[in-house]
Amino acid sequence: MLTTILNLLEVAAWSGIAALGFGILFNIPKSVIFTVFMLGFTAGLIKFSLMYFNVHIVLATFIAVFFVGIICMPVAHKIHHPPVVFCIPPTIPMIPGYFAYETVLSVMNFIFMEDDQAKRVELIDTIFTNGFTMIFILISIAAGISLPMLLLRKDSVKKIEE
Amino acid sequence: MDSSKELIKTVDLLLDISSLLMVSGANTNRVNLSIYRFASALHFNTSCFISHKSIVMTVYEDNSTLSCTRVKNIPPYAINFSIISSVSKASWTAVEEHWTLDKISKEIETIKKQKRYPKLVVLIAVSLSGAGFCNIFKGDYLNMGVAFFSTFIGLLIFQLTHKEKYNVYLRIFSASLIASILASLGIIFNIGSNPQTALATSILFLVPGVALINSFTDFLDNNIINGMVRFTTGLMTVLAIALGLFIAMILFQLN
Repeated sequence: MLTTILNLLEVAAWSGIAALGFGILFNIPKSVIFTVFMLGFTAGLIKFSLMYFNVHIVLATFIAVFFVGIICMPVAHKIHHPPVVFCIPPTIPMIPGYFAYETVLSVMNFIFMEDDQAKRVELIDTIFTNGFTMIFILISIAAGISLPMLLLRKDSVKKIEE
Repeated sequence: MDSSKELIKTVDLLLDISSLLMVSGANTNRVNLSIYRFASALHFNTSCFISHKSIVMTVYEDNSTLSCTRVKNIPPYAINFSIISSVSKASWTAVEEHWTLDKISKEIETIKKQKRYPKLVVLIAVSLSGAGFCNIFKGDYLNMGVAFFSTFIGLLIFQLTHKEKYNVYLRIFSASLIASILASLGIIFNIGSNPQTALATSILFLVPGVALINSFTDFLDNNIINGMVRFTTGLMTVLAIALGLFIAMILFQLN
């Protein structure tokens, strides 16, 4: 049990670091560095804990990103920065890089290497599984980050009462 | 001051602000909001057409026939969230404290002069995030080392080619190709328990996250054209990344 918790915390810490690295690439203000790390950490913790309890990766990603979308409103009031600045970097570690890689790999095998008919059918299965998981994760990231603002029907966080 | 001269100055300033925001990676809605706030602080009305490469804007007053329309071309994009944040703050204070034209333009000049993080800091931070990605996709510490190294060299190539003014997709392609060649060496020499993850994550630093998220929010705000442009830019970037990865995989016969 303890090792599981430690593993989850480690992977969450690395998501925080990944979020921070992208934040620095996007030149975030110095005062939001800690916020970006904490948001990346929390989002990673939510996602990987849910996945540990066998929630599907698409739903887990959506819930984690939705959490970032909601929490950014009180945080924006507290640290006085617009939400885009610290909301986009924590969602970048959610990008389904490995699924994209698997899709490219199986497309390449399908076109250039495999001649055996049975294996080609298997490859089509891999292409579709990985490709569509990737697309659904991307949709859930985009929807999760913009849904909270849409639900509140406001165009600026400043107008939302604390 | 002559009122027509003031109008010209205002439209130039507002165009400057909106092109600064577009370049820094704000979505269209945010650009519109900022223009609206600054214009209402100066007691003008504005209408504008924002596209990816240029902005057309008309500034006018309610009770006069005077108006001014100008077009501004947008320089190449460089995402910079510090600028978005400072412009947003300045727009709120401008409305609350009724800033004058000169004060706003002075503030925008200081915002423009803000320094970016040093290149070495960016290199190390992004390489660490590459290693972090590798951990997320179940790589061990050796794989993370490979991912760190290939991300570092890939981003270095990306930064160096920026000075030579190569086409941006060519730069993305070469960065992705070199990063994935380096990470493929990890598979050839079988470094770590899960060398494929290092290859999959070594190219993630090029992912056009901001372009794709902005494209989606633009679609939701019914800025379809800008959303399409951003989506296409993102798609082109993804294709360039995939092509680099693809060629590295063919070179090393990975399957």
